[in-house]
Amino acid sequence: MSARRSMKLLFAMLLTLLVWPALAAQELPTGILPLDGQDAPPLRLENLDGETWDIEQARGRWVFVHFWASWCGPCRKEMPTIQAIHEQLDPQQIEFAVINTAESEDMVFTFLGTVAPDLNPLMDTDGLVTERWQPRGLPATYLVDPEGRLRYLALGGRPWDTPEYMNFLKRLIAE
Amino acid sequence: MHRHSYSLNNFTAVALLAAAAFAQPVSAAEPQPLSYEDDKVAMRLVLRNQEQLAGFYLGREFGAAAVDKILETCFFAAIIYNKNYDVLWLDLDHWQFQRDKVTIPRLKRDYWKEQWREIGLPQRHQSTFGWTLLPETRDLRRDESAGGNVAIPMQPEPFTLTARFHTGPNRQGPVKTIVFEDVTCPRDVQ
Repeated sequence: MSARRSMKLLFAMLLTLLVWPALAAQELPTGILPLDGQDAPPLRLENLDGETWDIEQARGRWVFVHFWASWCGPCRKEMPTIQAIHEQLDPQQIEFAVINTAESEDMVFTFLGTVAPDLNPLMDTDGLVTERWQPRGLPATYLVDPEGRLRYLALGGRPWDTPEYMNFLKRLIAE
Repeated sequence: MHRHSYSLNNFTAVALLAAAAFAQPVSAAEPQPLSYEDDKVAMRLVLRNQEQLAGFYLGREFGAAAVDKILETCFFAAIIYNKNYDVLWLDLDHWQFQRDKVTIPRLKRDYWKEQWREIGLPQRHQSTFGWTLLPETRDLRRDESAGGNVAIPMQPEPFTLTARFHTGPNRQGPVKTIVFEDVTCPRDVQ
């Protein structure tokens, strides 16, 4: 191999190394941050029917872990978009844990009944599970991988039903 | 150093979203928010009257004793939007409240914990209240906003808020300072 060709190859490799992380980062939609993959905190709560859901039982599937409250304006705006993707994504590939933070059953039932009737909310009655997860604020969404690791965090409310986010989720669960 | 302005702009949408968290009927006496915006950051203070504050927390099933504790203080919302810094560091300990050149201590989370212990506020309400406060610290990423309430002891006269933010991933960028003058506690602006 000539010196000139070797230089070209070396340059191409360097360029790839430099550009690839940037390209990978660009694939993430606005406001989605990669996390370091540490284990997700425990999450075991009851829904409005008193049935217990444990994140451990979702192993093998992605989990869309979402914290919200009806008094939070961005939460109210975002919730219909979660309802929309919930209808479109395969529950065998991704589960939705939609966790209300410290509100009453009446408040949750009234709100979700009108904007997201198909979502089955989990009730963090005293707010302590939410605090254990330490979200940056409400709303907050974590994407937990099939091995139970924290992989992505969505900053604030996101328009999940737009192509940018929908395609991202579809790519993710197809991994 | 920058002075606040009252211009309406793109930040209005962000502010309205955060303000919607306290959706209450608008009264004729509703005070106007104070706002600042440049090409890198936007910040807004929202001063709600006491009726609005009480309405929000009573609507969340807080008792009258808890609402009284809140209304005893100068309680207002601040919303910060990082438009274009890599990282904008919200750190409430770097905010200074002053009246007649005398520093006013901010009422921190420990203060509220003590108030709630005193009246026996249920844990779920303490949790909700905590989420309505502005975070003590936050590394705001580009295009990220944070909003919530801040409290100082009730002030009979207007005060000045000087909000300082470090910038950059390692806090080594230029310090951004935003000053709001003549801020009036909600009790006085009804």
